[in-house]
Amino acid sequence: MSLLRVDNLTKNYGSNTVVNNVSFTIEPFTSTALIGPNGAGKTTIMSIITGLLHPTSGKVFIEDYDDIREAIGFLPQYPQFYPWLTALEYVEMVANLSGVAAKEIRSRSMKTLEYVGLGKVIHKKTATFSGGMKQRLGIAQAIVHEPRLLLLDEPVSALDPIGRQEVMDLLKELQQETTILYSTHILHDAEKMTDQVLFLKEGKLVEQGSLIDIQQKYAESKYMIQFASEQSATTFCNSTNRNIERQGVYVYVDVSEQFPSITAIMQHLLALQADIVKVERVIASLDQIFMKVAGTSEAI
Amino acid sequence: MRQFNVLLKKEFLECWRSFKLLWIPLVFISLGVSDPIMNYYMSDILAAVGNVPEGFEMMLPELKPADLLLAATGQFQLVGLIVLIAVFVGTISRERLNGTATLIYVRPISATSVFMSKWVMASIVGMLSALLGYAGSLYYTSFLYGSINFADFIAMILTYFVWILFVMAVTVAMSASFSASIAVAITIFILPIGIILDSIIGSFWHWTPWKLANYGAGIVAGTVDANYYWKTLTITLLLTAIFIAIGIFATNRNRQLTKV
Repeated sequence: MSLLRVDNLTKNYGSNTVVNNVSFTIEPFTSTALIGPNGAGKTTIMSIITGLLHPTSGKVFIEDYDDIREAIGFLPQYPQFYPWLTALEYVEMVANLSGVAAKEIRSRSMKTLEYVGLGKVIHKKTATFSGGMKQRLGIAQAIVHEPRLLLLDEPVSALDPIGRQEVMDLLKELQQETTILYSTHILHDAEKMTDQVLFLKEGKLVEQGSLIDIQQKYAESKYMIQFASEQSATTFCNSTNRNIERQGVYVYVDVSEQFPSITAIMQHLLALQADIVKVERVIASLDQIFMKVAGTSEAI
Repeated sequence: MRQFNVLLKKEFLECWRSFKLLWIPLVFISLGVSDPIMNYYMSDILAAVGNVPEGFEMMLPELKPADLLLAATGQFQLVGLIVLIAVFVGTISRERLNGTATLIYVRPISATSVFMSKWVMASIVGMLSALLGYAGSLYYTSFLYGSINFADFIAMILTYFVWILFVMAVTVAMSASFSASIAVAITIFILPIGIILDSIIGSFWHWTPWKLANYGAGIVAGTVDANYYWKTLTITLLLTAIFIAIGIFATNRNRQLTKV
């Protein structure tokens, strides 16, 4: 049974449709990435799931919960804290508000702050925190009550590469314990920790499925051959009349009668005694799929 | 109830750490003590400043202790009220605007706890300030002008507390309903301007909430009509309850305006 079910979600602001008839489900203990360009409606969908926004039509269900807010932890893109509270006071407050048992609050809050790497600054006011520390505190407040579903809006976009790596590592650990739905436009990260991807464009869900299925579906019917030298590449290009693309030592060959498989290509290369580095099927990266789905420009 | 307590503690910490619990009472104390001292030393002040034409004699009114408490009430109603409104009129809308409310609103808490924690803390600050302001006024009045019936004094303060509860209910409810600038305009119109309008054309009626504070001061002077007093008190409490209901409704409705 799915943990979260989103049915025909639509949100209008006047005549402007921000989310258009979006439906999807999320299975327990999986990670789902909401992917789409800015303004595609990712944050709006998150806000509706958290209950902050009311949809124009459609519904959100979470297994076993009437008040969805009891089941979720939410990290907005730019979490804002009360600057006069210390990290520990803040986490204890929100744990309290989320109904953590009174005698567990102190130990749970300390443990969570330790877990996100803020163990040394629990008594510092949040006003003094850097962007990366705020993001960690944001994660702490989202997980302290051990929610069934963790909603993260652009969890790493605002961070530098080091901070991003650290937060991604944290999230990968969390993946073992809970269900995650997060939005991102940094697809490189999504590739590393996603079971399901949802592509949004102008409020519509334009593609969805498991990462592997989608990569298969959008896999190029092309092979890439990397030659050791420009000369071998030229020799190869001259040896065939097929439609090929060439960028220096990289040659891209369409799947065709002459080259139905990698084996056929290898045989051809052997016959030429070409000096090659590697031959591979071109797999679309999420970036390329994103470009295709978003319909901006063709990659490669 | 637990959520209300947690949120109230948070409000208290904000008021404490931002020194609101210190400087607002200080404003009221300085307002409260200024009248008895100023009036008592008025002739000395005038003499010291000079500029009084020779042979000029000024008849300074003979002030009774109750007059000075009335004067303090007048100061609270003008300056004190504007300070309280300015401090608390953004208490809910500011949190929506800067996004701090988002992480609170996504938790299973009721709009009632949010609103009540804000209203109770604002009222505590207002009542504490009024109490200390009146205490300062009473100290110098009894020292310089003569004693006051203590029971009457307590009745006056309790009456003013009811007025503060009303003022904060209006202020916080407007903060829940509108953005800060609109809320300021409406609250200033309902409260300080309401008082001025009521004092200009209010002689036709006897029971608007704006008269409550003066009736309270009238208890000490012994000039208050009990019938009008109780009517005004009841109406003020009723309106307070109505504004609380409006505030809770608006807090709930405007949850979606919080910045995500």
